[in-house]
Amino acid sequence: MSENKHRVSRRQFLNYTLTGVGGFMAAGILMPMVRFALDPILKEEAAADMVAVAQVKDITTEPQRFDFKVKVKDAWYESEEPKSAWVYKDDKGEIVALSPICKHLGCTVNWNADKEHPNQFFCPCHYGRYTKDGTNVPGTPPMHPLDRYEYKVKDGKLYLGKAKPRGGA
Amino acid sequence: MKWTVHDVSMYEKEKQYIDTAVVPLLPLTFSERAKVAAADGEFMQLVTNEIERQLKGRLFLLPSFTYFASETLDECVERLNRWTSELNEAGMRHVFYVTTDQKWKETKQGLLGALFFLPSIPFEHMDDSYKQQIVQEQTTKLLNAFISQWV
Repeated sequence: MSENKHRVSRRQFLNYTLTGVGGFMAAGILMPMVRFALDPILKEEAAADMVAVAQVKDITTEPQRFDFKVKVKDAWYESEEPKSAWVYKDDKGEIVALSPICKHLGCTVNWNADKEHPNQFFCPCHYGRYTKDGTNVPGTPPMHPLDRYEYKVKDGKLYLGKAKPRGGA
Repeated sequence: MKWTVHDVSMYEKEKQYIDTAVVPLLPLTFSERAKVAAADGEFMQLVTNEIERQLKGRLFLLPSFTYFASETLDECVERLNRWTSELNEAGMRHVFYVTTDQKWKETKQGLLGALFFLPSIPFEHMDDSYKQQIVQEQTTKLLNAFISQWV
């Protein structure tokens, strides 16, 4: 019988039990330490910083404004910052998400708000204008085109990330 | 722009573009009307902050002009006009007052700046989405009123 062949002596039995229990205890101590050490790396991957903003089927070729909120952490103080985006589909059917922050002094621009210049983004503060693709109209105060949001489409929803600046016109 | 180091340093660089000061007029009281006054103040802050966000390149949102409800109107007007002259001297062509306090209505002519009223809204038992909607509405209204003053 196998039991007879592998007789376990008292010394061996104690050795096994002690290493076993000691192993568990060591693991119990080390695991949280390893976890704590790795935590920052794992966390950054988890938070992709994309926010669901709109349903893709709602997006038309006419720019629409969507409001959303982004969590901001400033030292200890956590708050939600309201943000907006002008979203539309261009001629090729690709989604364009523009930041409404005027590149001049940071007012919020509106689509089609100025009757004299239809189909442009208009800044009410100093009458800055941008064409539909966000390019600044020369001769108006802004010196750069509107920022574009990074975007991602998942399960029919539009997710927006950070607004990225583009080169000047 | 707000009264913060970051915004003030931007103001110093772009002075020629910022010609409007917004002064919320905020009454204080510790009588039985304290709660209403506080709610009005909170509402006013929400609306003015939102306006500042949308028009920050042209207007400077100042800290509130506070006064006790027991102060007489004449005292308040005198002090407010002094603020306004000081702002005008600093290069603010427009000074807009925003308030929920009806007592200013009596003196609209005696003020050096333009007065804008917000309704007093019982905010306390309102749910958040409705609250947001009201703030949104009032903001749009006030925003358009401001813009029409500029032209």
